[in-house]
Amino acid sequence: MKKRLGIICLFTLLFATFIAIWDYSYRKSLEPAYTPLKRRITDRIPLESGVFRRDKHALDYADMAIDEKHRHSIADYYRNRAFPGAPPTIPHPLLDERSMGGKDCLSCHENGGFVPKWNAYAPVTPHPEMINCRQCHVAQKVQTQFRGTNFEKIPAPAIGKGANRASDGRPPVIPHSLQMRENCLACHAGPSAPKEIRTQHPQLVNCMQCHISGQASTTDQKPLRERI
Amino acid sequence: MYRGWTDRRGFIKKMAALSAMTAASAIFPGILFPEAQEWLGTGSEGLDWKKSPCRFCGVGCGLLIGIKGGKAVAVKGDVRSSVNKGLCCVKGYHSIMAMYGKDRLTKALVKRDGAYVETPMADALDLVASQIERTVEAYGKDAVSIYGSGQWTIPDGYVASKLFKGCIGTNNVEANARLCMSTAVTGFLTSFGLDEPMGCYEDIDHADVFVLWGNNMAEMHPVLFSRLLDQRLKRKGVKIIDFATRTTRTSMAADRSILFQPQTDLAVANAICHEIIENNWVNRVFVESHCSFRKGLTQMGYGLEDHYEFKDQSEKIDFKAYKKFLADYTPEKVEKRSGVSAKDIKYMASLYGDPNKKVMSFWCMGMNQHTRGTWIQNLVYNIHLLTGKIASPGNSPFSLTGQPSACGTVREVGTLTHRLPHGLVTNERDRAFAAKIWQVPAKNISPRPTYHTVEMFRALDRGDIRFMWIQVTNPMVTLPKLKRYRNGAQKADRFIVVSDVYPTPTTDVADVILPSAMWIERAGMYGNSERRTQYFEQMVEPPGEAMSDTWQLIEVARRLGFERQFSYEEETHIEEIYAEYRKHHDNDKHNMAPLSVLQSQPGAMWPYVRGKSTKWRYNLKYDPACTNGKDFHFYGKPDGRAVIWQRPYEPAPEVPDEAYPYWLCTGRVLEHWHTGSMTRRIPILHRAMPHAYVELNPADAKRLQIQTGDGVKIRSRRGEITLPAAVNQRGVPAPKQVFVPFFDENSLINELTLDAFDPISKQPDYKKCAVRVEKL
Repeated sequence: MKKRLGIICLFTLLFATFIAIWDYSYRKSLEPAYTPLKRRITDRIPLESGVFRRDKHALDYADMAIDEKHRHSIADYYRNRAFPGAPPTIPHPLLDERSMGGKDCLSCHENGGFVPKWNAYAPVTPHPEMINCRQCHVAQKVQTQFRGTNFEKIPAPAIGKGANRASDGRPPVIPHSLQMRENCLACHAGPSAPKEIRTQHPQLVNCMQCHISGQASTTDQKPLRERI
Repeated sequence: MYRGWTDRRGFIKKMAALSAMTAASAIFPGILFPEAQEWLGTGSEGLDWKKSPCRFCGVGCGLLIGIKGGKAVAVKGDVRSSVNKGLCCVKGYHSIMAMYGKDRLTKALVKRDGAYVETPMADALDLVASQIERTVEAYGKDAVSIYGSGQWTIPDGYVASKLFKGCIGTNNVEANARLCMSTAVTGFLTSFGLDEPMGCYEDIDHADVFVLWGNNMAEMHPVLFSRLLDQRLKRKGVKIIDFATRTTRTSMAADRSILFQPQTDLAVANAICHEIIENNWVNRVFVESHCSFRKGLTQMGYGLEDHYEFKDQSEKIDFKAYKKFLADYTPEKVEKRSGVSAKDIKYMASLYGDPNKKVMSFWCMGMNQHTRGTWIQNLVYNIHLLTGKIASPGNSPFSLTGQPSACGTVREVGTLTHRLPHGLVTNERDRAFAAKIWQVPAKNISPRPTYHTVEMFRALDRGDIRFMWIQVTNPMVTLPKLKRYRNGAQKADRFIVVSDVYPTPTTDVADVILPSAMWIERAGMYGNSERRTQYFEQMVEPPGEAMSDTWQLIEVARRLGFERQFSYEEETHIEEIYAEYRKHHDNDKHNMAPLSVLQSQPGAMWPYVRGKSTKWRYNLKYDPACTNGKDFHFYGKPDGRAVIWQRPYEPAPEVPDEAYPYWLCTGRVLEHWHTGSMTRRIPILHRAMPHAYVELNPADAKRLQIQTGDGVKIRSRRGEITLPAAVNQRGVPAPKQVFVPFFDENSLINELTLDAFDPISKQPDYKKCAVRVEKL
């Protein structure tokens, strides 16, 4: 009897040890084999990641007819910005003063579409993941000034032949900074895109393979391997 | 076998790196790396981009400012800044426009026969210097004073302190930060013995629960709030709890909004501690090895009378006594007083108590502007200390600040009456240490603290102070019970000098107005809420004769005969002053990064030891100043232990009654920064928020038949103003409470507020007084 108990104990012990070892090695193997590259900063979005964000809509955009009557112009685009690159102000009354934005804003501005109330197409936000919209975008309740200003708005970057494209038929370069605006199709495709900058080929989603930055600093970049 | 396994891992690692590199270089021609594109130098749109911390709040966002033709023309967020990671708020994006208001002060103005006369800057500075001399001669050293703010750059505050404390020999140096965060200071000092947070903003990336104590973060610290929202989006189980007296944008965004009656946060915090002990959620090992228990004086009063003085005396108690004290604060008992259901109190306690959750508490003016402010901060620290959730990544009680350099200048340089850059005026060793660096005799520095801000303006009213120099702040909008202090400043025989960039209600009471160079019109440093010091260079020329506050002080100091102490060169004075200032903090507990580091990166956090910022203080893993051999070391206290304070609930000094049945709370809005003297001159911000208003609860509004836009008269025992009503707009106060923002100089809500203050920190409470509401 004692011997049998001993054997049972021994086997139980062996079995438990086996499970423990197996569990340990299993857990070890779960450790990720992939170690991400060390980044310099914990950046929210690398600039390129946004480029393809709206590409599932690209084919729809390509199919959309041009609605001549309700097209925005590039002048409209810059009118409600304090300077080129500034966050646009909100040109219409708000649904809810207490809301930080989020769903209230995104219901129209995530995917766009025609709004009969304002007789216009809602512009599409390039950064729908940022939901505290009204930390940057504010409505304009009055048209007065408190004391007047001498601030001068610099002209918007010029576009067209001789400005950001060498000749007709060559792809224009990007004349503006991409920060917060890396999602090209948000502003350059669909019916809410200003007519001067609306692309005729939204289906070619890899925008930056042809359109490169027209900025001085990119011409003398160090080769990539020197920077990594 | 084992070796083979590591080899395989190593191989996969290398493959991953290699394939990422190959992929990146394949699309390289079109790719734009943040480092290459979005950093300094000539970049997009042909602008010259330079880095600076934001001019406005204490978050200290990194901005890149586009300069063209000698003017600032564009702003974008600095993607390299670990504070804001490329994002700004609407004030930050439009901040540069604050420099270009049409009515910028460009010439010195001197009051003669009731009118302001344009005067050459040199003559105005002569007048200031001679007036200081005359006042000292006639009324003594303690009749001259300087009142600055947390918008002073580090060099501004440093030379102000050196001139007044070291050279002239008076401790009449205060800053409006006394109205803003002196309670945060006393909270830290009483609990930990050293000022400023132990953690940093990186805690946000680790925490699971964020509890906001009376803090409308969505409007006041929007960039940090966006970081909270970002974490909630990215990680599972992240929760935001809004614990406040008013329903705001933050409440709408939070997972849970819990409202409490004004002042009862004291009781609720004690109830949370009661629950933590009751449910055995106390981290015994932590408490036994790193904490001690103390109690202080109670029934301290509220500082409403002139010459009020108070000094806390504390005694040691034990855990048993503390537990017994908490028996009065069961959730059920506290529910009756606070209006917070016992269920909600238990819920909050369970979040703090859960050993698997990392918790961050945020607060700002709700807890600072509080007649028992030091107590409530102690109580929140108690919660974190009892559960051991402190000084480690993600576990962080975090006091936010409202001004760009409240920490950097007022708290670290010590521009308060009792402080020196290092230590206290009452301490002989500290005085000798400062005097040596300042090159003045040690006896020059008075051992006696004089007036804190409220008492300083009372002294001006009484005539004990005859000369006051006000720089970068607007007290004639921000002081509580404003009428008394405005009348005091306007009395005959008072000489007021105001250095500012625009005309304000404060320049209205000035005898001399000096035009200042603001922000990037000169070089300087700011220190933000997470102990980060950030440098900015001069990017544009100041208008007219405008001069930096630092240089104004130096010019006056030289005229007073202190050439030797103020022998800085004009080209390099900021660098020289900073190098001199660093000597005061030359130790492992507070070392500041050298200027070259601040110039090359978006700031550095002190203690900056052996080339490294310290992210978490008091934690052996991160803080080289920990020397007790244990995992934590609260080296601010002589015994190395943080204090768990026994602090009771006490009522506010003025509570609503039949004659004045409503609570009045004042505060800020997203669009405007403090008194609006800068943001209201930014057209976009003014148009978004053109004037102040009074928020009412819909039920009260219905009973009084008031609708949004109707004129409403609100009256307290001290004054009255008329404002348009706002019902169900930006915020909704609880029933029988009203809220008014203070940015509007045409509707001065501080005519109504009470000048009661926290006896420990001397910071007034702008959040609670009793008013009457009438429809016009």
